[in-house]
Amino acid sequence: MDSDIILVIVVATALAFDFTNGFHDTANAVATSISTRALAPKTAVTLAAVLNFVGAFISLKVAATVASGIVDAELVTTTVIFAGLIGAIFWNLLTWYFGLPSSSSHALIGGVVGAAFVAGGAEAVLTGGLIENVIVPALVAPVIAFLVAATAILITYRMVGRLRPGPVNRGYRLGQIASASLLSLSHGTNDAQKTMGIITLALVTNGSLTGSNPDPPTWVVISAATAIALGTYTGGWRIIRTMGSRIIDMDPAQGFAAQSGGSAVLLTASHLGFPLSTTHSITGAVLGAGAAKRLSAVRWGLAGNIVLAWILTLPAAAAVGALTYGVSWLLGSGSLGPLLISVSLLALMAAVFGKRLRSGPALTTSPADT
Amino acid sequence: MTAAIDTDALLELVWAAPLAALSVTVAWGMVVVGTTRASEARREARSAAVALNALIAVAGALLFAAALVFGLIVLTAKD
Repeated sequence: MDSDIILVIVVATALAFDFTNGFHDTANAVATSISTRALAPKTAVTLAAVLNFVGAFISLKVAATVASGIVDAELVTTTVIFAGLIGAIFWNLLTWYFGLPSSSSHALIGGVVGAAFVAGGAEAVLTGGLIENVIVPALVAPVIAFLVAATAILITYRMVGRLRPGPVNRGYRLGQIASASLLSLSHGTNDAQKTMGIITLALVTNGSLTGSNPDPPTWVVISAATAIALGTYTGGWRIIRTMGSRIIDMDPAQGFAAQSGGSAVLLTASHLGFPLSTTHSITGAVLGAGAAKRLSAVRWGLAGNIVLAWILTLPAAAAVGALTYGVSWLLGSGSLGPLLISVSLLALMAAVFGKRLRSGPALTTSPADT
Repeated sequence: MTAAIDTDALLELVWAAPLAALSVTVAWGMVVVGTTRASEARREARSAAVALNALIAVAGALLFAAALVFGLIVLTAKD
């Protein structure tokens, strides 16, 4: 009975994480399109939400699970998964609050690593896997995307520099709709699958699903797709502002260079089986598109804060994951721990969001409404 | 424990990703340049220039569409 209650809590928490993933990462796909007025804010998030939903159904080959090869698989219990999810949700909400783009996947991995560390000690964490799947991609993604977008914008200015700006801007706004759509679809295929993988793993761990690597049940696919689409539609406007206009003041050609450069890096990496973060790639591309035009056009202080958030993602989510697992463990092996933590988190979220909503034009509303 | 970094994939990424991005950039650049110049040539009644620039725009659009289709194939063929 207790294990079934924990399973229900894990599924609900996984869907909550999927929702935060949607609104946290909306900015990756649509921020530049909004800031260059290629798309109206609400149209952009609606398009992104629909394509995230569709993307979740495109490829159902869920990997063994997130954090596979990073922590000892035998130590992964529903409580470890739950604690990892809480760590990731905490970090997503904190970085959203400060308007900082950071990787939801790295937050999830961090949360699970922290929980597994408390559950099984240092041996539970596979350092090699952590370096291969998290550290190296985190260094590679922004650097390659930066260089690619910088080169792309220089070529673009060379090609269109002598033309009248009106038609050129209209042309690049149109191109941005295609690149934003591809990014949204890519995000849906990548990130909704992680939630499907987590729920499937929880079902297997609980004995509700059999087989060594079973496909996720239909209800899991539909609920994960719906959660990420709803989160995307909600729109994390704080991060959209950061990505779209606070790092650099972007023209449509820069927006196109950033989006298409970031997409090309992501899709090529995906084709080669090299895991890169969407957030890191797109942020690197935005910086590259700005710096190539003029170094001083980039707000480097803000860029530094973003990099700091990336560095802190793993340890911060791990600390919260570890704390959550520790508290659950102290409260016994039953469902009391996860239940109390879930209720506390919901109360905290209600307090934070309620306060924001009561204090005037909340930053949860789109730029069009403010 | 040592990290088993796939250096082959990493090296391929270093040249393939810029190649893909720059192809898309040039393709869409051809669309923008072609349509803008064709429109200017049309106003000045230079039919040869209209045809040439329209051709550039169509070639760019085809390249760009091919890149999008390739992107979709990569997404759907993912393991």
